[in-house]
Amino acid sequence: MLFRNKMELKPQVSDTPSQHQQQQKQEQREKHFHVLAVDDSETDRKILEKILSVSSCQVTCVDSGDKALEYLGLVDANHQDSASPSQSERSQEDGLKVNLIMTDYCMPGMTGYDLLKRVKGSSWKEVPVVIMSSENEPSRINKCLEGGAEDFLLKPVQLSDVKKLQPRLLKSFDQSCTNLPDIDPMTTDNSKSNNNATKRKALSPEPSERRPKMKELTVL
Amino acid sequence: MAYVGQLQRKFMDYTKSLYREGIVDEQFTQLHKLQDESNPDFVEEVVTLFFNDSERLLNELTNALEQQNVDFKKVDGYVHQFKGSSSSVGAQRVKDLCIAFRTLCELENKEACLRCLQQVKLEYASFQTKLESLFKLEKQIAEAHGTVPTLD
Repeated sequence: MLFRNKMELKPQVSDTPSQHQQQQKQEQREKHFHVLAVDDSETDRKILEKILSVSSCQVTCVDSGDKALEYLGLVDANHQDSASPSQSERSQEDGLKVNLIMTDYCMPGMTGYDLLKRVKGSSWKEVPVVIMSSENEPSRINKCLEGGAEDFLLKPVQLSDVKKLQPRLLKSFDQSCTNLPDIDPMTTDNSKSNNNATKRKALSPEPSERRPKMKELTVL
Repeated sequence: MAYVGQLQRKFMDYTKSLYREGIVDEQFTQLHKLQDESNPDFVEEVVTLFFNDSERLLNELTNALEQQNVDFKKVDGYVHQFKGSSSSVGAQRVKDLCIAFRTLCELENKEACLRCLQQVKLEYASFQTKLESLFKLEKQIAEAHGTVPTLD
């Protein structure tokens, strides 16, 4: 009961070379899978941060869409769109890596959907964006998925929700880490896990059909 | 030794009653899954954040409903926030009242909203008192060098 619910990737015995490699991969992930979490609720931020760090992710929390855009270099401190469009690219060149954005939908000012659209229209467009909401509204869910959201989670978000996301996200993360050639990460295995993840979402037919094909992620 | 055992039993019984009475729900259990030896006060920290947030929201709600012309959208906004945070910590009864409250906001019924706010305040106060008692028990067990029984 007091076990930390880390996502189970560590092999039990680590003597053979391939298991050693897997161990190294796990350590690399632990150091490098960086999630930008956006939520105006302090309570929710604290919980999400904990869920993500227990899941071996590096976490940065901000309390608004504006702050998220600032962090990504898409607006300056005065909330003007970056005068030079390459400011966000420079952030990326400087080594700023964001592997996943998780954002609340309902926030004062910029909604999670607005943030999604801004990210998808920028040089960070390859970063998956997961939207969280307490409202189980099919039209809202559809809107987000069609807007390019990687997934839609119902609040309160639980450890198991993030665990279900991870295999899908880590697969592309690993591939981009090892610079493999263009391979479609959506194998039949992934569609299986998609179906398993529908339990806590709105009842809607064939979610995998409406989910946008995952493009190969570049580690930015 | 017997003292620790007594405290632990008291803790378990008290925890069970909170679930039975619907004061807390499954989400409260989920929070405990995130707590471990490296962060043994996690649940208390989160709930404390919730307490602070709640106080603020209840004040805002009181002010907003005291206005001559109530801005129901604003009131609904606060209730939505409160519903969210109470849901996140597993404060089931508080959350359920917030859900009802939102309907009253939609109907723009000031009197009903005021009555509901009163209920929310009472329910929240009850939640706060009970959780504080629970945390106090945990501290007593720790001080007596016992381990806090985990929720199953």
